[in-house]
Amino acid sequence: MRTCRELGIATVAVYSEIDRGSPHVRAADEAYPIGAAPPRESYLNAERIIAVARRAGCDAVHPGYGFLSENADFADAVANAGLLFVGPPGSVQRAVGEKTSARRLAAASGVPVAEGTMQPIRDLAEARVTAERVGYPVLLKPAGGGGGKGMRVVREAAELAGAWASSTGEAMTAFGASALLLERLIEHARHIEVQLFADAHGTVVSLGERDCSVQRRHQKLIEEAPGPAVDDALRAKVSAAATKIAAAAGYVSAGTAEFLVAPDGSIYFLEMNTRLQVEHPVTELVTGLDLVALQLRVAAGEPLGFGQDDVRRNGAAIELRITAEDPFGGFLPQGGRIEYLREPSGPGIRMDSGLAAPMTVPTDYDPLLAKLIAWGPDRPTAIARARRAVREMIVAGLPTSLPFHSFVLGEPDFVAGRYDTDYVATHWGGGARPEITESAAIAAALAGVARLRSAARPSVTAVGPWVRSAHEDALR
Amino acid sequence: MRYAVVAGDRDVALEVSPDGRFLVGDAVVAADLVEVVRGRLYSVVIGGRTHEVAFLGGDRVGVDGDEIRLTIVDERAVAVAGNGPRGAAAREEIRAPMPGLLKRVHVSEGAAVAAGDALITLEAMKMENELRATHGGTVSQIAATEGTKVEGGALLMVIRSTLPAASVAGPAGSIR
Repeated sequence: MRTCRELGIATVAVYSEIDRGSPHVRAADEAYPIGAAPPRESYLNAERIIAVARRAGCDAVHPGYGFLSENADFADAVANAGLLFVGPPGSVQRAVGEKTSARRLAAASGVPVAEGTMQPIRDLAEARVTAERVGYPVLLKPAGGGGGKGMRVVREAAELAGAWASSTGEAMTAFGASALLLERLIEHARHIEVQLFADAHGTVVSLGERDCSVQRRHQKLIEEAPGPAVDDALRAKVSAAATKIAAAAGYVSAGTAEFLVAPDGSIYFLEMNTRLQVEHPVTELVTGLDLVALQLRVAAGEPLGFGQDDVRRNGAAIELRITAEDPFGGFLPQGGRIEYLREPSGPGIRMDSGLAAPMTVPTDYDPLLAKLIAWGPDRPTAIARARRAVREMIVAGLPTSLPFHSFVLGEPDFVAGRYDTDYVATHWGGGARPEITESAAIAAALAGVARLRSAARPSVTAVGPWVRSAHEDALR
Repeated sequence: MRYAVVAGDRDVALEVSPDGRFLVGDAVVAADLVEVVRGRLYSVVIGGRTHEVAFLGGDRVGVDGDEIRLTIVDERAVAVAGNGPRGAAAREEIRAPMPGLLKRVHVSEGAAVAAGDALITLEAMKMENELRATHGGTVSQIAATEGTKVEGGALLMVIRSTLPAASVAGPAGSIR
């Protein structure tokens, strides 16, 4: 919507009952309700969304990066309603969106995939046979899913039946389809993904990689570009593999090819995301491109306007996902009310956030609250800026992932770029509490006691000259 | 008034004199304290060194960007805790960390559980989350039924620990 505002394109938002006050509603030129809070009645209701688009006289529909953004039927329905779909057409989404079909496409293009099934598995008996063939440990995942939901690591045969039951159950709830695939688990791997862009005129470019290895429950917490362990040879290898798959699929618009890179440097294609991803700002900051603007240009049928040799990358960027989760309680999602909020700003800091205070955070949707993205001319500067920004940020009222980020940005292995997808388990575990100085402990004690004692007394709120000057400083 | 404060991994014995001065141990602390945002954000300057203290909810407190736990017990509660019964069987309440659907209860009343045992599967935000025992004990009560929706914070199960209570956390005077 920010991009549209800059380009002078009018926007129409849709919202569920509980999102009337949300930032996207306030940012749009027009906004219409589409139903109750449960996604099936609102954000997953294609008919209502398309009806609103037609009534409002829209030219195009941007699906965002949740809900219907990877739904081929929705892309087709939008096109059939005479509207432009901002993203790859339904036929392309079908070819690469479903995971086993993407694996077949990759294998046919000569891109390696982890050993496993090339078709969805029918039942537990077939899963057992396949697991024996590829060898434990294996990974079960929903063939039609994403975002780590329903994924299970199975280390031995005895665990398979239980994992199968919970994985199919979760896949059914989250994606409305229970088909699973099974592949060999690549241990101690890094999650490296390539940002692709293609137009309808045959141009496919790689905008470089992101390292997204810092994950919990197979969901990303930190993403950065360039990958600290990616050298020119590896970058060329994953970029070539990604563009090969995209070209084979006749890909159009923004997409991401995800890979696992094993400790020995071999790469395995994982899946293709046929949408803009949560972590796309990292690539925007190092390439200087506005990926949403490119999506709109490509959707309008225009050529991309540049080729692979024109892609320049500058500096390093790192994104921290600020989530409503308790990092000391196994990252369990938390609802609540934000009572006080202070967001960071300053050199090299971008906040993609819809937060306000006071504001109720529902547990109906994803726990992602905001994205803090830091850019620097090199990785150490980007990390230093991110650390400074995390120190500035305050979200009072519910637990967030901030203490985790604060830990990681000062943790020697992360700072040295030595991490893989096991990082959260091996380095954070159940949670690492910071050590504080004696002076800081006394300050906390004094403030705590003062607060306790003043709670009983009526308050006098006064804004002194120093506070006023602080406000002015923030606007420098 | 005297306070026993635990700030992160440090103990602070704090006294507020009748004339409003702060004493740590027996020494007066030259501290200047300003409430920047009512009840939420404080600036504390101790001997020229500045600190920011943010109250994040519950016992979670941010000090200069580090999140710690802060518990404050005033002198009356300190006295009670000191004389109270120690080593009594601790009662651990398993509560729903968030609203959700109670998918499965893995144990029955009276069952012995060990640390790490799965107790309950709670489905929330399309994820199945397993709640596990933090230490060994006996399931003394199951307070919720499989297949029902539970609110965040709802009591699900009570475990009577077989370990002696290591510490008695005094709720008196604890901050919001």
